[in-house]
Parts: sequence; C-alpha cells; structure tokens
Amino acid sequence: MEIKREDILHLAELSNFSLTDEEVDKLGDDLDGIIKYISQLNQLDTDNIEPTYQVFEMENVWRDDEILPQDADREMLLNLTKEEREHQIKVPKVL
Amino acid sequence: MKYIPTIGIECHVQLATKTKLFSEVDNDARGKEPNSCVSPVDYALPGMLPRLNGEAIKFAIRAGKAMNCKINPKSRFDRKHYFYPDSPKGYQITQFYSPIIGAGFVELPSGTKIRIEHAHLEGDAGKLTHFDTYSLVDLNRVDTPLIEIVSMPDIHSAKDAHDYCKELWRLMIFAGVSYGDLYNGNMRFDVNTSLAPEGSTELGTRTEVKNLNSFRSVERAVEYEIARQTKLLDSGGKVKQETRGWNDATGKTTAQRSKEEAKDYRYMPEPDLPPINLSQDFIESESEKLPLMPSDYRKKYKGSIKEDTLEILLDYPNLVRTLEEIDAKNLTTIANLFTSVLLAEEKSAEYLESLPSGQELNELVEMNSKKELSSTATKEVFLRLFDPQMKNRGVRNIAKELGLIQENDLAALEKIVDIVLAKPETKKAQEDFKNGEEKVIGFLVGQAMKESKGKANPSAVQEILRKKLLH
Repeated sequence: MEIKREDILHLAELSNFSLTDEEVDKLGDDLDGIIKYISQLNQLDTDNIEPTYQVFEMENVWRDDEILPQDADREMLLNLTKEEREHQIKVPKVL
Repeated sequence: MKYIPTIGIECHVQLATKTKLFSEVDNDARGKEPNSCVSPVDYALPGMLPRLNGEAIKFAIRAGKAMNCKINPKSRFDRKHYFYPDSPKGYQITQFYSPIIGAGFVELPSGTKIRIEHAHLEGDAGKLTHFDTYSLVDLNRVDTPLIEIVSMPDIHSAKDAHDYCKELWRLMIFAGVSYGDLYNGNMRFDVNTSLAPEGSTELGTRTEVKNLNSFRSVERAVEYEIARQTKLLDSGGKVKQETRGWNDATGKTTAQRSKEEAKDYRYMPEPDLPPINLSQDFIESESEKLPLMPSDYRKKYKGSIKEDTLEILLDYPNLVRTLEEIDAKNLTTIANLFTSVLLAEEKSAEYLESLPSGQELNELVEMNSKKELSSTATKEVFLRLFDPQMKNRGVRNIAKELGLIQENDLAALEKIVDIVLAKPETKKAQEDFKNGEEKVIGFLVGQAMKESKGKANPSAVQEILRKKLLH
C-alpha cells in the first residue's frame, strides 16, 4: 500500500493539523516507510488466530469506586492552557 | 400517500457512580464550579493512564438486566478518534466491537416491546459553551461513565418514542444506576426517524435528531420529522440523510452544518485497559441486586390500583416501594392520597425525600375507616406525616395535636346535642324540622360541630338529632 498525498491531508484534517507542502511530503515518505516495514507481518499466516488486543494477558483490572485526592488542582491544570476565562479553557469558536 | 414511520433511539445514560469511569475524581459535578472535578487523567496530560471503575461494570450489569438484556461475559474498550475541544485526549474510550450489554427488550406500559440491539460503556465528553467569538470548555463531565443504549427500529409513532424514553428513564432510576436528572443532562436521546410508503418492505432514508433531553422534546421532534418528511415525499422530494438539531422554542428541527467528509473515527483497541472477562457467578450476583422493576409492579398491582394512578406513581420509585408495606385493603386509599394529595402539594419534592413508614400510613387509613378521622382530616394528617416539623411523632399524636380526632362516643355526642337543643337560638329550627323542613337539620348539625370544636362525627350527630327531635 502506498501513502498518497490525499491520505496525509485527510489524516491532517481529522486531527486538525495544518501542514506545509514540505511536511506533507516528509510525512508521506515517513509513513510509507513505516507501513512497508510493518507490512512484513502480512507474510505470516494468521488464519484462525484470535486478534491480539492486549499483550500482557491481564483481565479485569479495575479499582474501587472511591474518591481520591489528585496530584494537580484546578489552578495547576488551568495554568497549562493558553487562555482561561471564568475557570474555563478558552478556545477559538467551534461548531 | 400514507407512510409508516420507523424510529430508532440511542440513549446516553450517565451512571451515578461516586467517581468517574477512568479516574478517582468526584463524578457528581451538579452545582459545582467548572473544571473543579477534573484530574490529570481527564485532562489527558502525557503519560496519564485510565484506571477502570469496577462499580461502573456492576452498574452496567444491573442496567442491562433492567432491560432484559444478555450480559456479555467478554467485553473490551476501543478508542474512537475525533478532534474537538470537548475531548482533551483526542479520542473517546468506548466499546465499539465488544459491548458489555447484549440484546434485550423494554416493555412499554401499553405492552409493546421495543428490542434493544445492545448497550455499551463509554466516557462522556466535556461541556462546551459557545459565545460570539470563542467557546469555553468545562471538563467536569469528561469520562463520567455512560451507557449508550441502542434500540432496534421497532418504534412507529411519536407517542411510543416518548413512552420508550420515559420507560428507559424509569428502568434506570428503579435499577438505581442513574440520578435520572434530565434537567442536568443525565439522559440524552438521539432519535432516528424515517418514513416508508405503507406496504413497502424497505425503510426510507432516515434523519437523526441529536441531543434531546426530555421525553416531550423527543415526542415533538418525531412529530415534526414525520410531518416534514411526509410533506417532502408527497411533493416529490427526497429525504436527505443528515443530522438535525431540535429547537424547543420554535418546535422545529433544522439541518446541522455537517462536514463533507465521511466520519472516520479510526477505531482501535484501547491498549491501556485490559479486557473484561466476567464469570457467570459475578454476573449473577450483580443481577440479583436488581430490585422490582416497573413491569413487576404493573403485574403486582393489576386490579388493586387503577392503571392511571399506578403509572403516575411509577415515576417515583420510593412511593411505589412504600406501597409494598401497605395492607391490601388500604392500597387504593394510599395510592390516591399519594397522587391527589402528596404530588399536588407545593412542597412535594421536599416531602418525597423521606417518606413515612407503611405502618404509619396503614394506621392513618384505619383511623379513617373507624371514622376517627374525617376524610378532610385524613388528608391533613397525611400531609403532616411528610412535614419535617411534624413527622415521626406518630399518626395518633399528630391527629390529637391538631384536634382532628372525631368524637364518636355516643354519650358525649348526646351531651353536645342536648346543649345545642337547649339553646334559645335553635328553638325555631327545631320547630321547623318537626314541621317537615328537612334542610334545617344542616343548621343544627353545624351548631353541634361548633359546640364540639369540629371534633364531633357529623353523621353520628345527625342521627342523634333525628332521634331526639322526632321521637
């Protein structure tokens, strides 16, 4: 499978990235290489083999429903945003 | 042309767990400040890992059982990718391939069964508030546990759509898995509606009205869509498959701006959460915790409580549960007091928070049947049983304190009647009555009631008066 420019632009659109032409080319080459490398797996016969969802073979890992204090409070978290207003994160208009 | 509407509904239910689905943060953000119930996990800081809340799994089992669904022992989580400021992770953790709740059905009060396709666990998104030039993001709601319930397209009228949503709401509050607070968005409905010509074997093109938050708006939106699509089809037009928004004020749906691009969520297994593999024992022990459901009460009280009355009571699980402690002979009276007195009372919401015991209610009805309390007095004492100032004092004490117990002691009543008859101002009435003027008896009874300060049993007084005047 070959990565086309449109594929890169489509993925960029879905992730809300704006890319320069050079970046599109570079990412295309990179992804192409990655996919070719991984494609080696296609040589294996995987008929009748359950897909692997998880490699640690763990199951039913869950916790109790108890409120615990957090390492970070609201102000610390809001400090990470570019702009805040009324204790909320201000973002460009969406919809 | 005549068309048959076909409706399928997706319902998001917020689960009332103490903490969120993937972090140990307070899940009940009602009335709390924006971004005050948020952890670094919800904020999706690099390196944060979700930690699954076991209670949400238990709640999901109960919710599934409430809808007569099969519980799938094996389920797991997937990432659904999309870019939007309400989701700091850039994806929603959901169960796309292997949901925890399998097929089942919900039975409407009318007896119609609506099949459930499946229901899955997922995290909610944050809340956006839009302004002229910007939007504000509150992440309190991020990863509140949700179950999304997907119905089969078994609904064929606006009324059934309404009844289905309401029944789902009742199932969730009876099962105790959600606060069911619609005003605060605890349940939200997406409604798919299509029309097909009568007799057609194929379904028409559907529209989806998203994010409805009341049963009434579901009903109105479906009514509107049926009318709109009928008009469109009759005039030779075609229904466009699209997402539409509902405006409660105008009563209309309008097409929402949609991206040209087809949805591409790039689902992948969630690598940070190991799969769920429940034993039959675990599923059964959770299922057994499910209390009686509305349909159980409909069977139980068929014939003893009027259907209309019971349907009203089924909106209040604690009232229906109190009925279980009421003696069979008192059921009708208590059910009627609940609907016509308690729910009509201004403070009913407050009163509903803590109810009197079945024993107290039984005692009250018995005092009424023994004529110790008139029906007006019964209603008055009944309401006091809920009043935070009065309750817990005992039915008889409350009735006594209010001076509402009727005098049924014949000797005492006779004494009162004698006093009334001895009064000069009643002489004329006594003569008139003896001369056949029947209605003046009311005046004499009234005098006796006044004399007894309202405590005399009026029908007993009347009997004594007749005896004394006519013999």
